[in-house]
Amino acid sequence: MTTQFDRIFHGLSSEVGKFRVAASGMAWKGAESDGVVLMAANHIDWVQWLRVARNFQLRIGLKDEKREYRIEKFDGFMREDHDKLASLMKNHFGKTLETKEISFKGWNWGATDFQGSNLAFLVSDKTAFELPLDQVTNSNMAGRTEVSLEFSSLSSSTKPSAKAMGDEMVEIRFHVPGTHTKLKGTGSDD
Amino acid sequence: GTGGKEGKGWKKFQSYKGEGALPPEVERLRIFVDRKAQTVILPMHGSAVPFHINTIKNASKNDEGEFTILRINFQTPGQLAGKKEDTPFEDPDATFIRSVSYRSPDGHRFDNICKQITDLKKEANKREQQKKEMAD
Repeated sequence: MTTQFDRIFHGLSSEVGKFRVAASGMAWKGAESDGVVLMAANHIDWVQWLRVARNFQLRIGLKDEKREYRIEKFDGFMREDHDKLASLMKNHFGKTLETKEISFKGWNWGATDFQGSNLAFLVSDKTAFELPLDQVTNSNMAGRTEVSLEFSSLSSSTKPSAKAMGDEMVEIRFHVPGTHTKLKGTGSDD
Repeated sequence: GTGGKEGKGWKKFQSYKGEGALPPEVERLRIFVDRKAQTVILPMHGSAVPFHINTIKNASKNDEGEFTILRINFQTPGQLAGKKEDTPFEDPDATFIRSVSYRSPDGHRFDNICKQITDLKKEANKREQQKKEMAD
């Protein structure tokens, strides 16, 4: 038996698609393109549930026979989908759908944490956002306590209509008070 | 650092108690100013990240060719304020976001957002001032 969820996004794409769950695994198929993402049941390592901008995200950790690791993210699930997904994950794959706690406090202070290829910013021990480090094109230290990260343009690679695109963050600067104590030898501030 | 200790004179504030309070507009992955919650919500790689107006110092806008850059500066320790009293911080030893910049081909919209943030900041400052006067 297959369970289907409509209007689901793959990653950050603006294209909606259908997300299907069956005993053999999970799959996403785009509505406009022929894009298909397949996840075999025996590759599913863990499943997570978290609030994102486009409602809720199902995040799936996958490990194939060659022990290659990959993470797939699907946005657009509704709050009401949680229980249904949780039981599907349990029944089909024997996995517990874990909830990742997100901060909505609105604070700009916290702690940075490297999690795989992401830099996470935690507020009161809850994730506020994650930045993919593979999309950082440049980083700088300005002075002793400031670190900046620049991001490549998302739109240049995919070239969608400007209308469909969300707003694009191109730079973030952090104030890191403890940075200078970790630097051995001073003298250069760049 | 001393760590952990709450800074002097810092008054607690919070944008939202939980995800259910986020306005539906965040779905569009665009910057949204939520006046009611005194909060600016920024899209960050798929997340909707609120920033209370108390954390924001100012916003500015710059045209760069066909794009417009919106920059939001935040309150952080170690800034040479040079005016008023020092802003108290809950945890001055934490890592702070100092600024974020966004790029859009729609300069008109960014102009509008910049104005909304500036107005929200003005309102917050005014309210703060009134509170002080009442306390005196």
